[in-house]
Amino acid sequence: MTTTFAVDVRGLTKRFGTTRALDGLNLQVEAGTVAGFLGPNGSGKSTTIRILLGLLRADGGEATLLGGDPWRDAVQLHRRIAYVAGDVTLWPNLTGGQTIDILGSLRGDLDRDRVDDFLARFDLDPTKKARSYSKGNRQKVALVAAFASRAELLFLDEPTNGLDPLMEGVFTECVAEARAEGRSVLLSSHIFAEVEKLCDTVTIIRDGRTVESGTLKDLRHLKRSTVTVTLDSDPAALEAIDGVHDLIADGGHTSFTVDSVALPRVLTALAALGPRDLVSTPPSLEELFLRHYGVHAAADDHEVARP
Amino acid sequence: MSTRVAARSAAPDAALPRAGVLADAALGVGILMRFILRRNWLRMLIWLIVLAGMVVLVIDSQRSLFPTQADRDAYAKVANTPAIAALTGLPYAAGTLGGILNIKLWMTVAIGLSFAVIFMVNRNGRAEEESGRTELLRSGVLGKNAYSLANWLVFSAFAVVVGLACSAAAISQGLPADGAFVMGGSFAGVGFVFVGVAAIAGQLARTSRGANALASTVLAVSYLIRAVADVNATDDRASWLTWLSPIGWGQQTRSYGENLWWPLLLCLAGGTLLCGIALALERRRDLGAGLLPDRVGPRTASALVRTQVGLSLRLQRGSLIGWTVGIIVGGLFFGGVAKAMVDLLKPDNPITQAFVGGSTNVLDGLLGFFLMANALLVAAFVLQSTDSIRAEEAAGRTEIQWSSAISRVRWAAARMVVPAVASLGLLALSGACVGLAYGAAVDDPSQSGRFALASLAYWPTALLMVGLVVFCAAVIPRAAAAVTWGIYGVVVILSMFGDLFGLPDWVTKNTPFTAVPRLDETFTILPLVVITVLVLVAGGVGLWVLQRRDMVSA
Ligand SMILES: Nc1ncnc2c1ncn2[C@@H]1O[C@H](COP(=O)(O)OP(=O)(O)OP(=O)(O)O)[C@@H](O)[C@H]1O
Ligand SMILES: [Mg+2]
Repeated sequence: MTTTFAVDVRGLTKRFGTTRALDGLNLQVEAGTVAGFLGPNGSGKSTTIRILLGLLRADGGEATLLGGDPWRDAVQLHRRIAYVAGDVTLWPNLTGGQTIDILGSLRGDLDRDRVDDFLARFDLDPTKKARSYSKGNRQKVALVAAFASRAELLFLDEPTNGLDPLMEGVFTECVAEARAEGRSVLLSSHIFAEVEKLCDTVTIIRDGRTVESGTLKDLRHLKRSTVTVTLDSDPAALEAIDGVHDLIADGGHTSFTVDSVALPRVLTALAALGPRDLVSTPPSLEELFLRHYGVHAAADDHEVARP
Repeated sequence: MSTRVAARSAAPDAALPRAGVLADAALGVGILMRFILRRNWLRMLIWLIVLAGMVVLVIDSQRSLFPTQADRDAYAKVANTPAIAALTGLPYAAGTLGGILNIKLWMTVAIGLSFAVIFMVNRNGRAEEESGRTELLRSGVLGKNAYSLANWLVFSAFAVVVGLACSAAAISQGLPADGAFVMGGSFAGVGFVFVGVAAIAGQLARTSRGANALASTVLAVSYLIRAVADVNATDDRASWLTWLSPIGWGQQTRSYGENLWWPLLLCLAGGTLLCGIALALERRRDLGAGLLPDRVGPRTASALVRTQVGLSLRLQRGSLIGWTVGIIVGGLFFGGVAKAMVDLLKPDNPITQAFVGGSTNVLDGLLGFFLMANALLVAAFVLQSTDSIRAEEAAGRTEIQWSSAISRVRWAAARMVVPAVASLGLLALSGACVGLAYGAAVDDPSQSGRFALASLAYWPTALLMVGLVVFCAAVIPRAAAAVTWGIYGVVVILSMFGDLFGLPDWVTKNTPFTAVPRLDETFTILPLVVITVLVLVAGGVGLWVLQRRDMVSA
């Protein structure tokens, strides 16, 4: 199968003085899909996006953006992309409407009808000076400018930072529409629900290195599900099965986590124990994420298969 | 600190006495003063060394210029001219070394210190608030006014320390202690009043640029009022007008002469009153707001604003208007007083020599000096205007712009067009205004054109300032503002006062301003060519680096 990548980053490195911000990062965004980009604070998400925008120059590795070089072909590529930063700074003396117009004109695809449409959806007053906008409203200015553009690729760096829940809903719709229009999106976020809802693929990074990537389904498949059962017999036998962890028995109720590869064996064993009720929950994205960073991360590190 | 917080929350609100409210509003002043000191000590130290150092240097140079009492008496006879009165203040004890020091340096130190406190008070006040950092501080356990009070206190203390350092510098050079302390006191007093001016400006304006412009205008007006008062003096007494100017109050201490302390009470009262008003204003307004409510603006950007040059013009509209007005006023003032000054200037006076250079025609020499002074003003505008290249990046606004379909070179070039073109217009305008006012004084309306042309000779120099800022913004983005203004300050001192300090010719004749052929000198193209080459090199290297380096994150 051949896929075209809107973003294709391999082995990217970037230092700031002695800090290694990126240390061999890999990231792919297939054309026409929404890619989630997760990582704790300071892991290098914004740095990656800034390199892709040609604002920073990579020290090493390869990066291809819409078939071009993000540093060399910056100006041409920028006609085809839009960017929303996590902390939007605007000209304090200009109104939101003026700012959106200016950004659209810079890209060369200003379409006032589309702008008006998104202004209405995000409920933003374009006649106010940027100085008097709240943080959420400043964010909306950049979001309207990005969604109203005809850009093929959207870079959204923690874009819902400061939006109220209602506006997060509007944002979710807009991303889904962008995807339906065939645009590609790279969405960096700290909100798991948002990423689970919107993204086709997820890349999780840590300390400037990719630690997980793939479709959400694949990632889940590779990981442990949580199983809760009500049993007639003593569950102690389960503990002996390779691939079963965290077993807790509480009267008739038993819960444990299980590696997906061990599932057939576990089901056979369970059948013998007289199950009356069984619920299996796939790992949430949050659990996937916390496996790398949570309190268990250090202890589990050696178990996690490293690429 | 925790005990104070506990005390505060324990106090029943209704029973809170008036003093309690203020103490509450000031909670944390001590901590914040230390915080401000930590962030500004180097800047303060540099100002201190420069200002007090000048005292030492000037006393030294004047002692060798006028070694005997006979020399000083001879100088005293010729010192009282309208030119000196207008530029540096009315001489009153010109037969003493201290009096000569005041003629040469008092105004420079007083104005330098005033600018220092204006810039630093706004830097820590309005600029911080504009950037949102004050919000972070105030959301902690700090009183509503604590940050401002700490800011004003630190820089009032700074003014006093500078005053004392200047006193000590003068005493170390053997000047009488009583005069030296009154002189130091007059610096501290003027500085304190401008802490108050900056405090109010920081409440009225919403941006630090606006606050700086407002406070600097007050300083300029104070200077002009006392200039008028000093020119309209009877004997060595300035006209009553001088009492309308804080600079006048400082001058009227007449250090090394009568050594009066009481005018300092005016400074003390004035500065305290201004800070009090600023405090009251701050209690009445919201964080981040100025006193004027925000108006709504246009819903869409006009075709002009959607171009890069148009955008840059729109962003600088207010400051451009301000500078234009200032340049017109300055030009008319200088042109208007030139004739009156010359009538009283004696060609063999050393001061005349210093100001008008080697010129044989004293009038043209003086007018040439004024044109250069105007060009220095225009250069300050150019620095401020071109600085937007650095400021946009420092504020984080290049993030959305540089990720748009425009190369950094084109982006920066558009921001160079405004200062480059506007400086051409402002130079012509300032020359025309000098010529107009001078022409009116001598009944010769044809003067405007000649002066406008002579003023245009400074255009390459103005462009050099553009190149300097671009170069620094590209190569040393974080230090660029300090470095460019520092260079500008040195160039101003060398160009305007280099001769007075007795610096060698190869220095004083070769600054980007003094190298330009003056009105009264024979026109030579070489300096202009050299400057133009420098412009191209600085600008070219700057743009080349800007295109290739990492963006600096806010
Ligand atoms: N301009 C810079 N100079 C020095 N260090 C930097 C710079 N920009 C980023 N860093 C460092 O690089 C690392 C990665 O930062 P980055 O902003 O990319 O993280 P992030 O994943 O976006 O974090 P967050 O979730 O907090 O936004 C951090 O350690 C940061 O301190
Ligand atoms: Mg980030």
